[in-house]
Amino acid sequence: MLSSLLTTKLFIPSLRQKIVNRRRLIEKLNDGLFSGSRLTLISASAGFGKTTVLSEWAADCDRPITWLSLDEGDNDPSRFLRYLIAALQKVSENVGSGLLSVLQTQESSSIEPILTALLNEITGIPDNFILVLDDYHLIEAKAIEDALAFLIEHLPPSMHIVIATREDPNLPLSLLRGRSQLTELRGTDLRFGPSESAEFLNEVMCLKLSAGDIAALETRTEGWIAGLQLLALSMDGHQDTASFIKSFTGSHHFVIDYLIEEVLHKQCDVVQAFLLRTSILDRICGPLCDAILGSSSSSGQEILEYLDRANLFIVPLDNERCWYRYHHLFAELLRQRFLQSCSSGNEAEGLSEYHIRASRWFEVHDLKIEAFQHAVEAKDVDRAERIIEGKGLPLHFRGAIVLILDWLKSLPATVMNSKPSLCVRYATLSLVSGQTTGVEEKLQTAEAALKAQLKGNEPDNDTRDLIGQIAAARATLALTRYEPEPMITQSNRALAYLNPDNLLARIRAIWTLGFAYQVQGDRPAARKAYVEAVELSRGSGHIRFLIVASISLGAIEALDNHLYQAVEVFKNALELAGDHPQPFENEAHLGLARIYYEWNDLEASEKHGQKSLQLARQFDPSIDRYVFCELFLSRLKLALGDTGAAAADLAETEKSVLHHSFVHRVPELAAVQVLILLRQGEVKAASLLVEKHELPLSRARVYLAQGAPAEALDVLAPVYKTMVERGWKDEQLKVMVLQVLALQAQGDKEEALLLLASTLALAEPGGFIRLFLDEGLPMGELLSKLELRGILSSYVNKLLTAFNAGEQKLEKTPKLSSAQALFEPLSPRESEVLQLIAQGFSNHQISERLFIALDTVKGHNRKIFDKLQVHKRTEAVARAHKLDLL
Amino acid sequence: MNIEQASLGPVSTMVYRIKIKGHLGPQWAEWFESMVVTQEEGGCTLLTGPVADQAALHGLLKKVRDLGLPLVSVTPAPLNEPHQKCFIKEKEE
Repeated sequence: MLSSLLTTKLFIPSLRQKIVNRRRLIEKLNDGLFSGSRLTLISASAGFGKTTVLSEWAADCDRPITWLSLDEGDNDPSRFLRYLIAALQKVSENVGSGLLSVLQTQESSSIEPILTALLNEITGIPDNFILVLDDYHLIEAKAIEDALAFLIEHLPPSMHIVIATREDPNLPLSLLRGRSQLTELRGTDLRFGPSESAEFLNEVMCLKLSAGDIAALETRTEGWIAGLQLLALSMDGHQDTASFIKSFTGSHHFVIDYLIEEVLHKQCDVVQAFLLRTSILDRICGPLCDAILGSSSSSGQEILEYLDRANLFIVPLDNERCWYRYHHLFAELLRQRFLQSCSSGNEAEGLSEYHIRASRWFEVHDLKIEAFQHAVEAKDVDRAERIIEGKGLPLHFRGAIVLILDWLKSLPATVMNSKPSLCVRYATLSLVSGQTTGVEEKLQTAEAALKAQLKGNEPDNDTRDLIGQIAAARATLALTRYEPEPMITQSNRALAYLNPDNLLARIRAIWTLGFAYQVQGDRPAARKAYVEAVELSRGSGHIRFLIVASISLGAIEALDNHLYQAVEVFKNALELAGDHPQPFENEAHLGLARIYYEWNDLEASEKHGQKSLQLARQFDPSIDRYVFCELFLSRLKLALGDTGAAAADLAETEKSVLHHSFVHRVPELAAVQVLILLRQGEVKAASLLVEKHELPLSRARVYLAQGAPAEALDVLAPVYKTMVERGWKDEQLKVMVLQVLALQAQGDKEEALLLLASTLALAEPGGFIRLFLDEGLPMGELLSKLELRGILSSYVNKLLTAFNAGEQKLEKTPKLSSAQALFEPLSPRESEVLQLIAQGFSNHQISERLFIALDTVKGHNRKIFDKLQVHKRTEAVARAHKLDLL
Repeated sequence: MNIEQASLGPVSTMVYRIKIKGHLGPQWAEWFESMVVTQEEGGCTLLTGPVADQAALHGLLKKVRDLGLPLVSVTPAPLNEPHQKCFIKEKEE
C-alpha cells in the first residue's frame, strides 16, 4: 500500500500528456551518448525543465536507464552507496548485492574499496546502460564528490552517467571537455525559444495569444520555463488578458513571485491552506497530509489528485499515485509564504507544530530519518534525541551519522551544555565515524553538565549509564592511541557504571579491556575478557560483536598453542560472517593461514593468507594490518622454496612500511628479512640487521649461522626465562627449538636430544610440524635419533614423514653449499686430520702419524663431520672436495 | 568582491549587499535571515544586512540559487555605512 522511500528515489518521472517537443535537445543527448562521452551534464538553475527533458529522453531511449533522485541525506557515504547499488540493481539484479550487506551491517564505510569492488561488478553487466543522478547540487560532501570523480575516471564502457544539477559539480569538467567525454546542456540550451514558447502557451496550455503577446511574454520571462508555466496557470481563465499582460510585462517584479500570488488566489481556501501547510514536506502522500492538517476527513488524497490533474506544481513519485512532491521551485515559494503567514499570526498553529505532526507521522510509519529531520526543524531537541535513541537499532546504524552529527554540531552551546546525553552522543558518533577531534572536550562538557544536574546527589540509573558511556568513549580514545593503561582503567569504570541492559556498550568495553591486556602481553587476562565478550555477544544476538570477540579469542588460543581450538573458533566466526566478509575478518583468515602453515598444509595456508591480505587491503590505507599478511606470505614463499620471490615481495612490503611510517612493524619486517638473508647465505648482512633491532631470536639464528652456538645460547637463556614467566607459550616453543639447535651445534648431543624431547612434548597437543621442519636437516637428524629411542613415537614419526616428503624440496633450496657457508671453519688440526682421511688413512694410522690418542682422533672426526654436516668418512671427503678444502 | 575586505577570514561579521535581478517585496526579509530588502531602479533587488561569516554567506547564496533568482553581485559594505531602509512600494496601484 504505502510504497517505500526506495521506490520513490528510483522512480523515473513520467511524462505529462502534453509537452513541448524538445527534439533538438534529445538529439544532442543522443549524439553525445553515441559519440562515446562518459558524462552528460545538465546544469541550469531551477525551473529550466531539466527533469522533463531527461524523462522525455528516458522514454525515447533504446538503452536501459536507471534513475536516482538525490537528496540531502545522500551526503552520507554509506547511504549514497546503498542507493547507488539499488539503482544499479534495476539494470542488473545481483550487482553489488554482497556489498549491500556489508554496508548494512557496518556503521560507517570507507568508500573506495567498495567502489572498486562495485566497478568490477558493473564491468560484468553486458548491456550498455545509463545512470541518471538528479538534483546533484544537493550533494556537498567531499567524500561523495570524490567517489563520483573516481567512478567517472574508471567508468566501465557499458556505463554512461547523467548528472542533472543547479550548479556545476566539483568534477574534472575541463578535463572531460578536452577529451570530448562530456556532453552538456546548459540554461541557454534549455530555455524556450520564441517558437517553443508559442507552442507551449497556445498549444499545450491552450491559451489563445497573439504573436505580439507571446513575444512580449517570452521577452519578459526570457524563456524561463517555470516562469512560462506559472504564467499560463495565471492566465488560464483570466478575464482581461490584455491588462494582465500589460501590467506583467511592465513591471520588474520577480516573475514567479509575482505570478504565484495570482495562481494561489485562484484556488479555494481549502486548497490554498493545503498547499501552504504541506509545503514543509519533501515528500507528500494523502495520509501524511491529513495528519499535518489535523483534519479528520481524509481529503488529502483527493486534493493531491486534483493538483495532479490541474498540473499545479505537483510531481508524482511512483506509479501508484501514492507519493508526490512539489516542484522544487514552487515548494520554495510556498514555504516562504507559509513562513510569512505563520510569523504574521495568520496560522492557527505555529510552524513547529506542523513539523511535529509530520515527525509523529513518520515515526509511526517507521520512517525514522524523516521523523528526525522534522523534529530538528521543529527545534524539538528532546524529540530529536528520542528518535536517535530509537527502539532496538539506534538511528545511526541506518547510515544517518552525517545527518545526526551535523545537527549536533548546529546546536547552540547552551543547549549542548545542558544536555549531557547529547554531548555523549556527539562523542560516540564522532568516534564511530573515525574522528577523534573535539571528543574529549565534549566528554568534559558532559561531565560538567552532569555534575551541575546532580548537585551532589547520588546519580540515578540513567545517569550512571551515561557516566559509563563517557568512560567507554575515553577507553576507545585510548585505543586509537594504543595506550593500554587508560584503556583498562576506563573500561573497568565503564563496566562499573553502565546499565546491565546496555549490552552493546558493555560488550564493547569488555572487548576493549581484552585488547588492552593483549597489548600489554597479559594473555590470561586478555583471554578471560574475550571469553566473556563472546558469551555476552552470543546471548545478545549481536552477531557483529560475536564475530569480533570470537576472532580475538581465536588469536589468543593460537598464541597459547591451542591450535585445534583456535581453528574451531576462527571457522565459527567466519561462518557467522557469511558470504560477505568484512575487513576485520582478515584476522581470522590470517590466524587460519598461520595454523595451517604450522600443520604443513601449505595449500590451505596460502589460500587463507591471500584472502586475509585481500580483506586487510579494504581497510583505510593508514591501518597497518595488511603488513602482517604480507610478511606471512613472504615466509610462506620461503617455506615453499621460492627464496627469490620471498625476497622481492619483502622488498615491496618494506617500501610500503617506510612510506607510511609504520614504525611498529619494522622489527617484524626485519625478522623476516633475517630469515631470507640467512637462507640466501648472506650471514654478514643478516648480522648487520640484527644489530639494529631488539630481536633476540633472530640474533640467535645469526650466531648459529656464524658457528657461534655458545653466544646463541647466551642470548636465548634470558629470553626463555622471560617467556616462561609471562606464560607466552608460542614464544617459549620457538626459543626451545633454537636452543636445541645450538646445543647440537656445540656438540652437546645428549642435552640437545633431551631438550628436543621436552619441546616435542609441549608441541604435540597443538600438532606443530613446521616448527621443526623449517629447521632442516640438523633437526631431522635429531628426530631420527629420538625415533630410535622410541620417544613420542607417533608424533616423531609424523614429523619424520614430513621431513622425508619434504626432502625433495629441501634439497632444492639453495643449501649452504659454498665455502662461506661453512658454519665454522675447521681448525688447523682438524684440517690435518681431514687431509689424512682423504688420503685413506684409518683412525689408528692417523693417531700414530700425529702422535695423538685414538680417542682424540675420534673426537676430531666427530667435530669434522658436524662441521661438514656429514655422517661418514666418504661423505666427508666428498664434501671437502666440493668445498675446496683439500 | 573586494579582496582585502573579504580576506578578514571565515569568521568575521560583515555587512553584505547581494544584488539579484528582479524585484522582490519586503515580505521576503524573513526568508533571507532578516536582511533588508530594497528595490532598485532598473529592476534589481538589493538584500542588505550583516552576515556572520563565509558559511552564512554561502547559505544565503544557496537560498538565492534555490529560488532561481539570477545573481548579479555580492559586495561587502563597510560596517559604518548606514543601511538603506527605504522601501519602494511593491505595486503602483
